[in-house]
Amino acid sequence: MEKINTLVNDLAPSKFGKRGVIWTISLVVIIVLGVIAYIDQLIKGQIVTNMRDYALWGVYISNFVFFVATSFVGSVIVAVLRLTHKKWRTPLVRIAEIIALAAIVMAGITIMIDMARPDRLLNLFIHARLQSPITWDVIIIPTYIVLSLLLLYFPLLPDLAILKKLNADKNTFLNKMYDILSLKWTGSKTQKVIQEKSIKIIAILIIPVGLILQTIDAWLFSTTYRIGWNSTNMGAYFIAGAFVAGVGALIAVVYIVRRAYKLENYITNLHFDKLGRLLVLACLVYLYFNINEYLIPAFTASKAEEVHLRALFSGHYAPLFWGVTIIGLILPIFFLLFEKGRKPLPMFIISLLVVIGSWWKRYVIVTPTLLHPLLPIQGVPESWHHYFPSMHEWLITSATLAMALLIITVLVRYLPVIPIQRTLDENELSVTDKNIES
Amino acid sequence: MRNNINFRFVFLALISFFIFNSGFNSLYAQKVKKSKVRLKVQYVKIIDGETYIDIVATSKIKRKNIRVSDIEVAVYYRSLDNEKSIIGKTITNTDGEARFILEDMAFISHDTLGKYNMLVSFKGNESFKKSSKKISFKDANIKVDLITKDSINYIRAKLTGANNNSIDGEAIQVQVQRLFNPLIIGDEFHETDENGTIEVAIDDDIPGIDRNLTIEVVLNDSDEYGTVKAVINAPIGVHVVKETTFDERTMWSSRDKTPIFLLIFPNILIVGIWSIIAFLIFNLYKIFKS
Repeated sequence: MEKINTLVNDLAPSKFGKRGVIWTISLVVIIVLGVIAYIDQLIKGQIVTNMRDYALWGVYISNFVFFVATSFVGSVIVAVLRLTHKKWRTPLVRIAEIIALAAIVMAGITIMIDMARPDRLLNLFIHARLQSPITWDVIIIPTYIVLSLLLLYFPLLPDLAILKKLNADKNTFLNKMYDILSLKWTGSKTQKVIQEKSIKIIAILIIPVGLILQTIDAWLFSTTYRIGWNSTNMGAYFIAGAFVAGVGALIAVVYIVRRAYKLENYITNLHFDKLGRLLVLACLVYLYFNINEYLIPAFTASKAEEVHLRALFSGHYAPLFWGVTIIGLILPIFFLLFEKGRKPLPMFIISLLVVIGSWWKRYVIVTPTLLHPLLPIQGVPESWHHYFPSMHEWLITSATLAMALLIITVLVRYLPVIPIQRTLDENELSVTDKNIES
Repeated sequence: MRNNINFRFVFLALISFFIFNSGFNSLYAQKVKKSKVRLKVQYVKIIDGETYIDIVATSKIKRKNIRVSDIEVAVYYRSLDNEKSIIGKTITNTDGEARFILEDMAFISHDTLGKYNMLVSFKGNESFKKSSKKISFKDANIKVDLITKDSINYIRAKLTGANNNSIDGEAIQVQVQRLFNPLIIGDEFHETDENGTIEVAIDDDIPGIDRNLTIEVVLNDSDEYGTVKAVINAPIGVHVVKETTFDERTMWSSRDKTPIFLLIFPNILIVGIWSIIAFLIFNLYKIFKS
């Protein structure tokens, strides 16, 4: 009984401390600044951005691709771990599902921010052409959002019921929400059968849907026949990149949650070691695809492609290109190969490098290609030959990133980040109305 | 008293300033250097069509040749008594070009040798000096026939002067009209013989819409006759088969012509996945009710 109480109280969400409050307020301030910038963009049009005829996709699209990639972690990784019954997954899956949901929701919002006329969003459905990858994207993103939500929600049902019981004596709005969202969960055999069956269906379904999402995202680029994007490798390249971004983000969030909620007994060095091995595998696969993506064109490059590659290897984009490749990919592989590199703090630092590298990697994929078209840029102002995001773009992009972090923060604040019921089951303990104390 | 002196002084100073300033301005105006306009003119006669003079106005400004737009040029002819008479005026377009159509050549007199003497003149403006260009030409005609000998098609053309006299030794081009530039048939030039005729074989593999070829016979920029062009429509081309996928279901068609496989498979996927999602949501309802 004492053990159950300790475990439930450890894993139940608790109020933020001073740091948590400052963190949340900071995110809200960044979001408010971004919303003001976005309203200005709506009023004045996209002239406030630095996107022009050639750089028609800028930081918004690279940010969108980053969000889509990050959302991958909640699907394939969690689903594969669930289907293979890996026990060490328990304290990690919910955080992964929360990240996935936050990232895919923000991907949907970011793509709308890139639209000069968001009021015409409905036209994407009314006048949809099934030949267009944009239509596929418009269909797959809401599908993936719903599946990610269900993947988060079904395993939450027993925990919501526990939280309801835990706060039974409090007549708060929050407790009412726990009551409504727990769907009268009693833990009966029928409910458990339906729940387990549903989780299994989602775990199986979300793998192909996740792969389709990443592939469509890649095809948005590769079907446009442009230098740097015209590759049959693009789908696999994006999936590998998504693994890296997703696992990197997961490690960073897991480390912060572990420290903030003092969950060292539940999220141990073993979990970091496992995640480290997963990340090094993802980085190695991604490095392999990177070599494919750049080495072969370097051998067979046409004149236009040569200009593009030179800009990446030794030209204007070289610091960024080599930065994301070395700091965001090669160095993490090197450090993660050693056991000491897979300890929590080094892993946290490495994961931050990987996530930042992954974000800039999308920028390197999107922008240089647009500035190296097959026909030379002629008859336009000199400034159109270059692209760097404007202040509006930075503010709005920062706000989308802050919004994703705020969604994660809010969910971490009000939901148990480690599944309580599953942890109890693994410890062969069970919760009843009598043995739980609020 | 002191105020009066001050007033006079200010008045004189202002008057002096304006006088000095206006004098300086006139001096400055005299110093403005006008650019020279170069006129390039070409006489063109289309048999059974228009006769016109093409005019191009250019000027060298800062060592660069630029086209001079929006200037008025007048076209004159010289009568038998060497008197200059105006035919009309035209204005150059943004490319510095103008086409002056000679509506009726009958009232324009020529000299005793049958030569028309014309003058294209620009009287100058605040930016450009006056300029003029003389042009002389004789009237000429080209008669074109399409003939077939031993299953080979030929273009036979005869170049004649105003009195129907044959003109020999002139270089004639035979070409087929194409979208951007004409396609030259045979040698670049064919010299007219003593009867003023040329005969050029036409290849039987030139494509034409509805088999029609528009063949041009051109005396190009001759010193004596200017440019004379005759056009004939010859139904001897290879039929052009239109290769268009406009009405087909392709990846690049409009939404009403989506390929069938793209209507079937994505819709199966969409319906399949969303049916499962609906089933999962129904499972939530079952959990709630059980």
